[in-house]
Amino acid sequence: MEQRVREVISQVLGVDAKSINSTTSVQSVSAWDSLAHMNLVLALEEAFGVEFTDEQIPTMTSFPEVLKAVEARGGRA
Amino acid sequence: MPDFASLLAAVREADKVSDLYGRDVSVVFLRNFTIEGAEPFLKFHLHKSRIRPTIAFGKFDTIRQELMDGSSVVHTAKPEIVVLALMLPILDASYGNVGWRADVAIREVEGLFDLAARQTNALVVVNTFLPPSYRELGIAAAPRGDDFEGEVARLNVFVREYCRSHAAQFILVDWERLLRIVGEEAGIDRRYWYLSKAPFRQAFLNLYALEIAKVARALKGASRKCLVLDCDDTIWGGTIGEDGVDGIELDPNEWPGRAFYEFQRTVLQLAARGVLITLCSKNNEDDVWEVLERHPACLIKRAHLAAWRINWNDKANGISELAQSLNLGLDAFVFVDNSPTECELVRRFLPAVEVVQVPEKLYDYPNLLLEEGLFDTLSIGDEDRRRGQMYQEEAARNSEKERFASIDEYLATLELVAVIRDARPADFSRVAQLTQKTNQFNLTTRRYTEPEIASLAAGPDSAVFSLALRDRFGDFGLTGVLIARRRGRAGSIDSLLLSCRILGRKVELAFVEDVLLSLEQRWGIESWEADFIPTAKNGQVAGFWEQLGFEVAENDGGRKRYRCACKSRPRTGGLDFILRSQGD
Repeated sequence: MEQRVREVISQVLGVDAKSINSTTSVQSVSAWDSLAHMNLVLALEEAFGVEFTDEQIPTMTSFPEVLKAVEARGGRA
Repeated sequence: MPDFASLLAAVREADKVSDLYGRDVSVVFLRNFTIEGAEPFLKFHLHKSRIRPTIAFGKFDTIRQELMDGSSVVHTAKPEIVVLALMLPILDASYGNVGWRADVAIREVEGLFDLAARQTNALVVVNTFLPPSYRELGIAAAPRGDDFEGEVARLNVFVREYCRSHAAQFILVDWERLLRIVGEEAGIDRRYWYLSKAPFRQAFLNLYALEIAKVARALKGASRKCLVLDCDDTIWGGTIGEDGVDGIELDPNEWPGRAFYEFQRTVLQLAARGVLITLCSKNNEDDVWEVLERHPACLIKRAHLAAWRINWNDKANGISELAQSLNLGLDAFVFVDNSPTECELVRRFLPAVEVVQVPEKLYDYPNLLLEEGLFDTLSIGDEDRRRGQMYQEEAARNSEKERFASIDEYLATLELVAVIRDARPADFSRVAQLTQKTNQFNLTTRRYTEPEIASLAAGPDSAVFSLALRDRFGDFGLTGVLIARRRGRAGSIDSLLLSCRILGRKVELAFVEDVLLSLEQRWGIESWEADFIPTAKNGQVAGFWEQLGFEVAENDGGRKRYRCACKSRPRTGGLDFILRSQGD
């Protein structure tokens, strides 16, 4: 699952999948603005067949937090 | 359709190479809600049509200000398409209050539309409004029909009427229809609507973007013009050579005959709007004619066909021959066949042809060609409706032609009549359409909308001339356009284009000479300037201006600027078998 999340982040934000690590976040990736964030949420929902809640969405601002949210929703790749 | 993440990545890659397309379009969204999500989908569809997209967004809910402010993106981005995207709950905040009526929204919409019509020459794409999912009266009827549902319907009637009466500039994308296709669950994201005023899910955004891309395709000469149909298992089920006329599937009361019957209906709908219909089939020709003439359920008749290749040769060849005989580029063609092998062959050898394979789910087949909108044009006029007939007149001409030893001898018998005159308001739609569709005989390939043509025709320093042609076989209609501008006594040819259907009759020189002469008199022009702007398609006119005595003044990698002093312009004397009329 972690690999698939990496891939989706890479495709949505246009960053190299190998460079994505625990420090990858809204602060470190300039392309990760509010619109990209919406796209990322929607792309993850499609990829894992889940729907994030309005409470989760604002917290998903780094690679570890994104992983946590996908896991919490029981995301399957 | 790729998954969303892959689509975003693919669009990012395509953005890098889109310089090579040779076509671009500038689109500006003016909106009162978050519609940025449509951008990747719009780019995806435009890249697919090889149109380089430039997309910009107005600020949130400031449509009026941006239309008025000359320094806003509506004016600086020089859009050719302005998408006016409006959500009712933001347009009228009282929507949903007990007793709400649509009058305020109607006035607001009318004001915005009128303002857009005044402030831009771009095409304006507008939308219908979505009625509520649940009725405020529950299951009870509204005695006067003025519940929210009825009032939104009234608002939408207004929007539709406005688009009808401003068809030259306004194009309607019916959100209600799109939402019917994807369904509300798949189309609306209530969560993001409340969170970020972004109401639409990807499925809806994709359809909305496709409708906008269809407008861009039509405007940019990327619409397809000719349908090439295989026969067996494509316009009927089964194989005529084996099953015989009585054995093929085409009965509207049976399955799968019904799917093929309804597909044929779609084909006739396309023919009625001017799409050329042709056959390319590996069969005995007589077998095919027998179905078309004798099968009681076969709607496609020989009279609908502009041309055909029914033989045992390979289809890439067949389609190339069709392109040649119809004088169309390969990128005007859509090929439909059930065989994956034939489809693959055509894709490989004729990549410009759009290939559509008959779907395995036959029930998706009847709508398939309408869904993609590959043939869509901004308007449909008399020339379009008569097109099928025109090609048959052309076939009559061609068989006559073979009786003559020289082309001039043949032309002399045609009784050609050319009507050359200033384009009139009734012509503007067709003139704009020609600038949008003509790719081959087009010296500068400048695309214009109808309002732009109207303002060029009305301006004191510009003129729009049209050429209409007929002969004893029939009427070609309005098939040539020349747009000129002047500065003092210097004139320039902004655009010159002729429909490929009338080429080979030597009318092009006569048309241009006539127009130049009358403008020299009207404006007192002493010298002319003209351009040739090369594209992938217009190589045949690279040397056109030389024929009229124009000399190359600048040559920038094939893009040539010509000059010509009127005094030294040779008179070719025109062609004496062409009757001219300035009035008519």
